[in-house]
Amino acid sequence: MTPSTEIKEAFDRRAERRSERREFFRTAMSFGVAAAGGVAALGMSGQAMAQAAPSDTDILNLALNLEYLEAQFYSYAANGTPLPENILGGTQTRGQVTGGRKAALTDPGIIQYAREIAEDERNHVIALRAALGSVAVAQPALDISPQVFTAAATASGVDLTPFGGVFDPYANDNAFLLGAYVFEDVGVTAYKGAAPLLASADILDAAAGILAAEAFHAGIIRAALYRRGVDAPVLRTVARNISDGRDTLDGTAAAAGPPMRVADDDQGIDPTGSGNTLAANIAPTDANGLAFSRSSEQVHNIVYLTRTQTTQGGFFPAGTNNPNPALRRSGAN
Amino acid sequence: MQKETEFLELMERAETQRSARRSFIRLCGGAAAMTGGLSLLAACDDDDDNDNVLPNPTPTPTPAATLDVDVLNFALQLEYLEANYYSYATTNAGIASGLQGGVGTQGAVATGSGAGQARAVTFTDQIVAQYAREIAADEVAHVTFLRTALGSAASAQPAINLSGSASVTINGTATVGAFTAAARAAGIDLTATGGVFDPYANDENFLIGSYLLTDVGVSAYRGSARLITNKTFIEAAAGILSTEAYHDGVIRSELWRRGLTTPSIYTRIQQISDSRDGLDGPADTDQGIGTAAAANIVPTDGNGLVLGRTAQQVLNVVYGTRTQVTQGGFFPAGVNGSIRTSGAN
Repeated sequence: MTPSTEIKEAFDRRAERRSERREFFRTAMSFGVAAAGGVAALGMSGQAMAQAAPSDTDILNLALNLEYLEAQFYSYAANGTPLPENILGGTQTRGQVTGGRKAALTDPGIIQYAREIAEDERNHVIALRAALGSVAVAQPALDISPQVFTAAATASGVDLTPFGGVFDPYANDNAFLLGAYVFEDVGVTAYKGAAPLLASADILDAAAGILAAEAFHAGIIRAALYRRGVDAPVLRTVARNISDGRDTLDGTAAAAGPPMRVADDDQGIDPTGSGNTLAANIAPTDANGLAFSRSSEQVHNIVYLTRTQTTQGGFFPAGTNNPNPALRRSGAN
Repeated sequence: MQKETEFLELMERAETQRSARRSFIRLCGGAAAMTGGLSLLAACDDDDDNDNVLPNPTPTPTPAATLDVDVLNFALQLEYLEANYYSYATTNAGIASGLQGGVGTQGAVATGSGAGQARAVTFTDQIVAQYAREIAADEVAHVTFLRTALGSAASAQPAINLSGSASVTINGTATVGAFTAAARAAGIDLTATGGVFDPYANDENFLIGSYLLTDVGVSAYRGSARLITNKTFIEAAAGILSTEAYHDGVIRSELWRRGLTTPSIYTRIQQISDSRDGLDGPADTDQGIGTAAAANIVPTDGNGLVLGRTAQQVLNVVYGTRTQVTQGGFFPAGVNGSIRTSGAN
């Protein structure tokens, strides 16, 4: 199918759904989440699209898996407790979280950042589940133990000697920031890569709101690492290593898109220039000042910690949940 | 009910766009989708109204659809403002003259004079200087990117009031520097600085000036994403939105950190936020950075979604008015492009 045919068909499908969607909104407006209406309407008439491009609900479920991971990590790190049980159920296999605990944070700023991000991520889980309704997937098994973070760091060539050979993201302020760094940029690239695949403007609108929140979080984490990196240069080194590691995991395939893919889609926080032109690198952008995109497979390469095509590993020992198998697997890079 | 009516009207407009777009995409969509060239899109734009390849399923005349070109040109106008601010703050000059021309009335940057004059900031904290240089480069890249994408449809840089001076003359008329006007409107106590808010005076003022602009940029992209229909441009806009949010995360967290030793920062930021929120109508579109005991770096709603503004609301903020006008504040002659009127709030 040519792109132009695809686009035309997408618009035609949207026009057909228009009347039922409008009717749905009339009743759903009191709820206030426009995305909820869009997804439900899609669910009602979306079966015919199942074999073609991933549906909006598939994409939102992909996002929900990532939000479960982030929300549980921050919930444990900030509060020492998991997400409440009543926001974890759903379709497919419900798994448990292993390895999280309250982080030993001491800097008042880092404590505040962790608390605020934990709250945002929990709200993302709730919002996505509300939007997906009965088709929301359950939380899959999650491993957020120091062992998995250590594996991620080791695979990225991080010298763990200064950390006693173990990358324990709950050990102290710096380790927590680096643990957060592992996730945040990935979330941004995942939402950005998914944005052009969404059919519903309502869902796109909500996704833009989550995308922006993730980029705020990433900006906060990266800026904190950058500033601390003045006195602890190892932080910038490790951030660079992790970035390079992610770049290796997600391959070098390039595509004009949308979504656009480039070989080098990840950046550490090392400054550029010198003297009066020395500039930070908080926002990882291309020459156009745009953040990068990742495909679903690339995102899975990173969270499964593998360059091969598989359906589980790393932070998701039993894989992510999704009715669309194409959105459960990593790529062969 | 009003919210529902507004929403349904928005859906109607989107549907109108969609039908117009479908016919134009048949003609141009293949090429546009392959190359992502907005200049192609712009060239095809004129065909839309006269083209009868498809019967129009919405025969009732409706207000002109907001096309991608209009939305991206609106974004470009905001980028001119941000890029010039960060460029002056880091290099003592505005953006290159080669980046200023285009459709509409090209205007100059009014810098003002004396206290509040747009100029390079003498940064004390070199980390803040490094943030500023990075953001300046990104914003200039956004101007360049949008101009390239829009091609011959790109709108010109409008006249920009980039000053904090007590008085600045623009087109023969004396007015207040836009930063000072915004700070006064917010009720910030400026007695210690002679009634002037000078965003170029020091690190802290620069960050507050950044907060004034970048927060609005985020909310603008956030609010406009849904209006863009071409997938290539949705992805590009998402890329810019991300970058603006990275910047804003840096600025807001840096302001919050400094508030620990200068608590008045929390108060002043809240005043600016409340002022902006008052300009753009009853919807909650703005949040301060919280307090020492409870940070609020990310301005989100109850769903964890970053707050958005419509284009009209954005214009209320940058024009510094709650009325329906076409100029004011940072844009003394208004913005260029078809989206140029603020809302009546």
